[in-house]
Amino acid sequence: MSSNPQLRRAVTPWGSFSWGYSDVGADIFIGLGLVLAYAAGASNFAFLFAGLVYVCIGLAYTELAAAYPVAGGGQYFVLRGLGDLFGFIAGWAVLLDFTIDITLFAWSSVDYMSQLLPAVLASVHPWSHFLVVLGLIGLLCLLNVIGVRESTAFQGSVAAVDVLSETLILCFGFLFAFQPQILIHTMHVSWPSMFGLMQGTSLAIVSFVGLESISQAAQETQRPASVIPRTSVVLILTILIYAVGYSNLALGMQMWHPVHDAHGHAIAFWQLFPGNGDNQGKAVALLSAQIPYYGLLAQFYVPILGAILLLISANSGVFGSSRIAYSMSTSKLLPSVFQRIHARFRTPAASILTFCGLAVVVLIFAALPQLDHGARAVYQRLFHGEDGITFLGDLYAFGAATSYSFVFVALVALRLFDPMTPRKFKIPFNIPMRVRGERVEFPIIAVIGFIGIFSILVFTLITHDIGRVAGPGWLILGVFLYFLYRRNKKLPLFRSQPHDWRTAQTSILKNAGELELMDEYHANLRASDERKRALR
Amino acid sequence: MHISLAGVLVAVFIAGMMASTLWWMLHPPTSFVQRLAAQAEHQLERLVGSVIVVFSADIESGHMMALAAKLAHGERSDLFAVYVVEVPFTLPPDATMPDEERAALDSLGAAEAIAMHSGVNIRTDIVKTRNTSQAVLDLAKREKANLIVLGSYREGKYTSAPLGSDIEEIAANAKCDVLIGVEGKHGTLLVDETQAGADASPEKA
Repeated sequence: MSSNPQLRRAVTPWGSFSWGYSDVGADIFIGLGLVLAYAAGASNFAFLFAGLVYVCIGLAYTELAAAYPVAGGGQYFVLRGLGDLFGFIAGWAVLLDFTIDITLFAWSSVDYMSQLLPAVLASVHPWSHFLVVLGLIGLLCLLNVIGVRESTAFQGSVAAVDVLSETLILCFGFLFAFQPQILIHTMHVSWPSMFGLMQGTSLAIVSFVGLESISQAAQETQRPASVIPRTSVVLILTILIYAVGYSNLALGMQMWHPVHDAHGHAIAFWQLFPGNGDNQGKAVALLSAQIPYYGLLAQFYVPILGAILLLISANSGVFGSSRIAYSMSTSKLLPSVFQRIHARFRTPAASILTFCGLAVVVLIFAALPQLDHGARAVYQRLFHGEDGITFLGDLYAFGAATSYSFVFVALVALRLFDPMTPRKFKIPFNIPMRVRGERVEFPIIAVIGFIGIFSILVFTLITHDIGRVAGPGWLILGVFLYFLYRRNKKLPLFRSQPHDWRTAQTSILKNAGELELMDEYHANLRASDERKRALR
Repeated sequence: MHISLAGVLVAVFIAGMMASTLWWMLHPPTSFVQRLAAQAEHQLERLVGSVIVVFSADIESGHMMALAAKLAHGERSDLFAVYVVEVPFTLPPDATMPDEERAALDSLGAAEAIAMHSGVNIRTDIVKTRNTSQAVLDLAKREKANLIVLGSYREGKYTSAPLGSDIEEIAANAKCDVLIGVEGKHGTLLVDETQAGADASPEKA
């Protein structure tokens, strides 16, 4: 037995699900309004396309997290499959996502609060909105530095209430408010331009970001190789059902309390969102209030539930970024300062402060147009007037699409060059082949997924003015700093340092309690070594 | 408000999908280690089905009674505490032995208090016999006991049979499981080691 303290394996199947759900489940609260604003009558199509890509991403993460149950998640898979440099780029993109996660979800949490507290409505009281978001980020930073985190039980309870609530909203919505003919009519007359569709699709991926969290919790999950495939598959299905369900309901619903435009004409539900940042940030609360009878209750509790879930999600950004930075630092991809633990609080305070500080910088950039008229004019000229929440959504989509693209490539590389690691869950549809004398299976789904996510990345770059500049800018800055750090430490710049993956994998499976898989891994290694000896 | 067939079908589909997938997620297949653990727990369940805790003048079972009560509480089973009074052949079988009977009342009273504290049902009895081990074996058979719980002998009483002859006979002949609790204070090895350590330390210094 190791004398080093290990992370306790206390995360149950529901804990693993709620861990992922509190991150990805909150996305629909933001994504729905954004996509309706840009993809209009094709929002359901945009969600379906992004959802199918997400299924491929989910399957890839499921296979990799079950085979390599460690805390690093996507960054670790890419490091292992593609080496140090790409591992860094993927990790750096994930760090961007987690940093944006902090700001975006804190922002949207305040938007949901504004449904009951008009004093924090962004368009009417921009300063109070900004200050509350800033205060929330500061509070999350403080709580994480002093080591206070919401308990797993609280997170699990919020996830349970939210799953129930979102399912009820959908069920009652389809029962009482859905009209198929309205859906068909909206899709027919409000189909967007190609540009709008690409914009909507790239934002739809926002609703599916967060699977990383399940992989990150893998090291603390009981029997991860058995549990993670199930929790991931259920999470994928749940989010897909919600995304496709909500978008279809939003396009085809008869409003319970009709809203009229300036000319007195009744408008469709989805028309509440284009050009209205306030509404984009709280779409689920607006939708639930429009469901006959159920809306009477939902209009009060959904904003509160949404605000809590979004705040938990923002918090997952704080500890997710510090975990990734810690993991990258131990792999010598980031300076050792990110491994430093605060002497009194026993938390990675430097990491937490760095990424919360970055989140505040991002918040200032996002809020500037609504706080200052001069800045609004500049944004109008340079970025065609993208508002704060769209700016955050752009960067979120960029970070996710970049890291997911690398994960697909890593999956293929690991399938080809590490076939000995047992895979309790394997993505279906594979082409058997031989590489270096070993029988391997080439995953077709990974190629399809890569094409899908890469196209979303291209859509983001084409359609989002800020994302086009800030996203690649973040990556270039990261690679520059990486080279600087590696040169300083006299480590190879482009090549990887030597890694003993065999010992590492044995240790991973042993620590995961997957003893049967460890035996299988050793048997595979022995058989492979014997084959190689026989060939010689 | 207008309810459409398509809406109803979609609502039912969503509810069904959510319920079934969540159920599937929460019931993952068990591993070999988990099956071993389940098997052991099942054995414990059977083991603790009916428990007899034995006291006598030579068998001190107070601490084992507390353990048996905790086990019985976990497995929701009943306890039967019995104090065996061994009547010597020099006396008639139904002879009154006030000191022993008083000691029995103390032991069984304590057993009841422990059981009550743990929230477990308990029956108590005093059995007079010529042979303690045979009486316990007969009792276990009659009560269809799954487990006999015994404490250890009183220090220094037995020299040839380390656990006491009654305890060894019960352990050897009982048809059910027997749990014997030997208090550490009766052991010699630990004391010797401690002594050796104490002796060695001044030299080191």
